[in-house]
Amino acid sequence: MNVEITGLTRRFGSVTAVAGVDLRTGQGVFGLLGPNGAGKTSLLRMMATAMAPSAGSLRLLGHDPGSYGPRREIRRRLGYLPQNPGYYPGFTVTEYVEYFALLKELPSARIRVAVATAIDRVELGDRRKSRLRTLSGGMLRRVGIAQAIVNEPELLLLDEPTAGLDPQQRVAFRALLRDLGQRATVVVSTHLVEDVAAACAEVALMDRGAMVFHGTPDALAARGDGQDPGDTPIERGYSAVLAQARS
Amino acid sequence: MTAVTRTTAASRPRPTVRPPGLTLLRLLRLELRHNAMAWLLPVAIGLFWLTTYRKDMAMPPLWNLRATGLQLGAVLDFAVPVTGAAAWMGSREARRRVTDLVTVTARPRWARLLASWAATTIWAMVGYLGCTAVLYGVTAHQASWGGPLWWPAAVGAACLPAFSALGFVLGTFLPGRFTAPLAAIAAFFVVALSTELIRGSQSYWNISPIVTGPWDLGPQAGVATFYPYLPDLSIAQVMFLAGLTVALLGALALPAGSGGRALRTAAAGLTGAGLLAAGTAVWLAGTGTMDAHGMIGIPALHDAASDQPLRFTPVCSHTAIPVCLNPAFAGYLSVMANALAPLLSQLAGLPGAPTRIVQDSVIYQQGAGNSVTIRPRNPADGDSSPVSHLVLPDQTQGQAMTASQLASTVITTYGLELVARVTGDGPGASPAQNAVAAALMRAVSVGGVLVTQAPSNQCPPVSEPQAGPVRQGEQGHRSGPGTVCASQSQGVARGTPAAAAAERFAARPASVRHAWLVRHLAALRAGQITLAQLP
Repeated sequence: MNVEITGLTRRFGSVTAVAGVDLRTGQGVFGLLGPNGAGKTSLLRMMATAMAPSAGSLRLLGHDPGSYGPRREIRRRLGYLPQNPGYYPGFTVTEYVEYFALLKELPSARIRVAVATAIDRVELGDRRKSRLRTLSGGMLRRVGIAQAIVNEPELLLLDEPTAGLDPQQRVAFRALLRDLGQRATVVVSTHLVEDVAAACAEVALMDRGAMVFHGTPDALAARGDGQDPGDTPIERGYSAVLAQARS
Repeated sequence: MTAVTRTTAASRPRPTVRPPGLTLLRLLRLELRHNAMAWLLPVAIGLFWLTTYRKDMAMPPLWNLRATGLQLGAVLDFAVPVTGAAAWMGSREARRRVTDLVTVTARPRWARLLASWAATTIWAMVGYLGCTAVLYGVTAHQASWGGPLWWPAAVGAACLPAFSALGFVLGTFLPGRFTAPLAAIAAFFVVALSTELIRGSQSYWNISPIVTGPWDLGPQAGVATFYPYLPDLSIAQVMFLAGLTVALLGALALPAGSGGRALRTAAAGLTGAGLLAAGTAVWLAGTGTMDAHGMIGIPALHDAASDQPLRFTPVCSHTAIPVCLNPAFAGYLSVMANALAPLLSQLAGLPGAPTRIVQDSVIYQQGAGNSVTIRPRNPADGDSSPVSHLVLPDQTQGQAMTASQLASTVITTYGLELVARVTGDGPGASPAQNAVAAALMRAVSVGGVLVTQAPSNQCPPVSEPQAGPVRQGEQGHRSGPGTVCASQSQGVARGTPAAAAAERFAARPASVRHAWLVRHLAALRAGQITLAQLP
């Protein structure tokens, strides 16, 4: 298992953002759904080792991130795209991705190829010398994805990766996700259930810090009874599960 | 709730050896390309040109003056921008909201921050070294003797990593868009005001990197010309700045998440060691005392070899009485010789006249508070001594003079002294002695001078009590020995018989005056000549 989570909890003062989540997952694309404030981002940040849990245990890629050495090893094999990633506007696309390749301790000999490959995979090859300040929001999102995958991570955590992408780019991105899922554990947090339906083999639904559903997208769709709001079966399933969890 | 999916990811072979050197260099290269200091470098260089280079070039081409001027000016010119730039770079991650992104990377936070700090410092150092090279290059072209003084330049260089680290730490721990300008402003005031509390040479505040010697003395032409430059204070300053740098950089690694336990422990050790070094340096600076050569000596750092005078071959004029100067002052020789030549030709060969005039060093002595006493090293040349010691006005004045100012000052101080030595003029002299002295001075084109003056060896030493610190460029009215004596000298008042006799004697051809002096000098000195007997 690449991700083994037991009773994971994160509190911010009196607010419990993540409440005793259990999760075990291996290779493949894993969708994390939920309304605003459900705890998806907090869960992802803990999985990314950006934030320590308040309680529970977390084991990533076979290591406990609680101590520095294993955490560093996890980070070498991790890719992470936060919900609101920042950028250095003066950097070019190549420089920005190279910067993260260096921070991820890629061997020097591999960096040039790895950077070029990552940029090509997000279809920014023709803008590789452009400064980030000149790029659109969607392009910046793709640059963020490129830095996340530059080290060919075994655990890739993406928080709202398709926000700002146009439909064509989203289709291409889903294909990229499926490809990455062949070799790694990809956890995608999103509001867009169609992304989950198209790219994820597994999906979990969070609400109020707890995981209220885990299964396949088809199983989620099957939970919709036809009376819940939503245009697609999976949206209806999403609404039904949420309604049930809150009832 | 437990969710389980499929299999564990297949483990891919990963490189186990990651030599850090090359990747760190690549990281540094990226940081160099995108560093705020690169943009501020023209500002720093412009400041250097405006406030340091022009001022330094206005001083005589003496290495000590140029070097101390460099340290005094360049520290502020570069330390302020580098503090601001480093604060800007230190706050970059928070300002650009990339903290999460960079936090989850494998490279320790400390290494990442050090790369950014190093890039800032390197840019500042490149600018500083370039400016120093230009200033020293021009000085090497102009100076007649000596070589670059490296310690003042080293203090300036040591400032850059220290102020860069200071700004970087401020930016990292207090990120914000106003941190950088505030840090730069604070750096300026800290450095500029750090000398306000200096009281004498035994002051802890002498550790301030813009202090090159006794603060109120300022750049002195006579310092480090006859004796080697004393690096004691510079060593303490470099030690302080290096300690500060190490402590600040160590502090960057102290917060949790900066690295592993071993790294943080090492950083804590570095911080402690840095603080200890800096504290020791401050203590050492407090034990310093001004030595007789006008520099601050620190007993614990002092090398006795520095007390030995420098060896040099003086440069001499071809006047009737040769005037010999320290080769560093060779540029002054023609002015000196031209000014004194008419007088020397009249005095040469007379009883009491020297056969050689040699430039002498002065002795500095710390007085109460910030006062400094400057006196000639050989104040009492006997009348029979074949060598007369000359102290150039620039050795005692705070500010350099123009050629005409120098010539005029030499004539009215040393010229009078020399005449007095030959004619026996001075307190208690006869009216005829006063008149002859005045006539000789009149004859060497010191227009309207009808004032005789006591020899400087009868004058009290110069004392310079100062109410507060005086900075370079503001200390131009210090008195040399001659100037002080002038207020105490006797005069030949206009309209008196002595004045008339002086006018009469001055009107005679130089050869006539010289011939008369050869015959009557002994009687004149004995007070046996009356005004009426003067030709």
